[in-house]
Amino acid sequence: MSPHQFDIQLVAIIVAASCAIPGAFLVLRRMSMMTDAISHSILLGIILAFFLVGDLSSPFLIIGAAASGVLAISLIEAVNRARLVKKDASIGIVFPFLFSVAVILLSKYARNVHIDTHSVLLGEIAFAPFNRLILSGMDLGPTSAYVMGSILLLNLLFISFFYKELKVSTFDESFASSIGFRPRLIHYLLMAVVSLTCVGAFDAVGSILVIALIVIPPCCAYLLTDSLFRMILLSVVFGISAAVSGFWVANWLDVNIAGSMAFVCGVFFLAVFLLAPQRGFFGIMREKRRQRMDFAEASLLVSLYNQERGEAVKNHPDSRGMFRSADFASKVVEFLKQKGEIAVAGGKLFLTEKGRERVRTTVEGR
Amino acid sequence: MSGRGENPVAPAIRVTDLTVAYGDKTVLWDIDLEIPRGSMVAVVGPNGAGKTTLIKSIQGLVPRVAGVVSVHGRPYEKQRKEVSYVPQRGSVDWDFPTSVVDTVKMGTYGDLGWIRRPGKKEHEKALGALEKVDMLEFAQRQISQLSGGQQQRVFLARALVQSASVYLLDEPFQGVDATTEKAIVTILKELVAGGKTVLAVHHDLNTVSEYYERIALLNVGLVASGRVDEVFNSENLMKAYGGKTSFFPERKAARRAV
Repeated sequence: MSPHQFDIQLVAIIVAASCAIPGAFLVLRRMSMMTDAISHSILLGIILAFFLVGDLSSPFLIIGAAASGVLAISLIEAVNRARLVKKDASIGIVFPFLFSVAVILLSKYARNVHIDTHSVLLGEIAFAPFNRLILSGMDLGPTSAYVMGSILLLNLLFISFFYKELKVSTFDESFASSIGFRPRLIHYLLMAVVSLTCVGAFDAVGSILVIALIVIPPCCAYLLTDSLFRMILLSVVFGISAAVSGFWVANWLDVNIAGSMAFVCGVFFLAVFLLAPQRGFFGIMREKRRQRMDFAEASLLVSLYNQERGEAVKNHPDSRGMFRSADFASKVVEFLKQKGEIAVAGGKLFLTEKGRERVRTTVEGR
Repeated sequence: MSGRGENPVAPAIRVTDLTVAYGDKTVLWDIDLEIPRGSMVAVVGPNGAGKTTLIKSIQGLVPRVAGVVSVHGRPYEKQRKEVSYVPQRGSVDWDFPTSVVDTVKMGTYGDLGWIRRPGKKEHEKALGALEKVDMLEFAQRQISQLSGGQQQRVFLARALVQSASVYLLDEPFQGVDATTEKAIVTILKELVAGGKTVLAVHHDLNTVSEYYERIALLNVGLVASGRVDEVFNSENLMKAYGGKTSFFPERKAARRAV
């Protein structure tokens, strides 16, 4: 691994970790697409701040950008609270508007400045190693590692201080408010953190990857755990793994690095979606099949049980007419025979003592 | 009321001139309501009568157009810790990744205040409350695996750990099993016996006289409020429900007397 490759991965890892932390809360608050809104709206802040200070590398640009992210959120909230349009529509109204204002300003007044919409959306992490922090002649590494490192630290501090407040106001906003917390304040603090993260990250990796890193790793984690704390931890793990493996995929295929990282995020989600033990697609299928078989076995057993006691049965068990197909019926019979709950004699089905026991405990016990 | 020995200085809750609107729709109109200390009060009224809004606006969770709410004689805002809130079960996402005991622990957050984290003491408190609602064995269970009745018990437990003196419950019996309903009523009656005040949104007119001693009949405005045996009659019900009820408390009382 060349130092160059090391630097790119270092930046990617820090970006991934800082995105995943607030991302977990955004996903739980059903606000994933706010990231989209923020990541586009910050362009306006960057441009306005640039007009004010006239310097592309000024830290004021970051502040301006973060502020416009918060502005976007507030506007969305305002449109939303008027209850005239639905929530998702209010997102769709606000951010394209702010973004287009930025694009107009950019093309009208800042044509010669090196901010282009293309790099805003895609970013270029491959350039991360070239912009280095040099202090009194010493090369301290890529600047974006320091910028994002500070943002990561801030995110860590934010959730370790406000974990409890974030948790309760995400789970039950009215209750949080009734016990004296201020969910609205927490909401805006979280949004400010997300804005700042987006600003830092989008400079490093572009907004599509930022959205991918904020939304997808927490979604993967959500399907795999039942604890908020573990969900956050797992999100970070997923984010970092996607960043690193995405880098090597890009290296291998010789394609855009950010795109490849976002792609790997998607692949991770697909894998978790299909394979998660309980909530995954196959897990649910398996569970459904098991329930169907369970029910079929129970109905056959009950039917035999009733027949045994001389009660009227709707479908005679021997006819197996209670099942949707003869194949399925013989499968059920086969399973029950294997379990020793029924026996077959002279083409007729009989309950064994074990089968009778199952009827008593599982069906009648209900 | 007799038997309590003292003349209460101020009611548990006093609502004056409360008016709430959503957009151009008035949901609550000029409500004046007093809830005496140590009483168990049902809030009853048709759908859209503003029952949930009443519970929420008492706590300032929805903005008031007008009105003042005081708890034990002081403004609600200064008495927040005295009030414990059990929202509607359906108002939260039960797929949230957390366990039963952690959910109950949220009831201690108010006393902890900002930033301080719950520790062993809070954990013990939460377990104690779970024991009261007979859910101790579910402490480590993920909340998405609970039935409706169990969810309601968890919510009640979360309110119990707050050690408040006024309980506001929004439809605590909505979609719960009969055992849970009995268990919750028993706990609420114990609270009232211990001098606490309970105000609950209630739907089932059949059980009003069995569970509550007082009632507030609501339909945007306050139709009537007072002791169940005095104001829970068909005249007031007709006023509240606008003729859309076939429930007559007098008949039920007569049946019970037979």
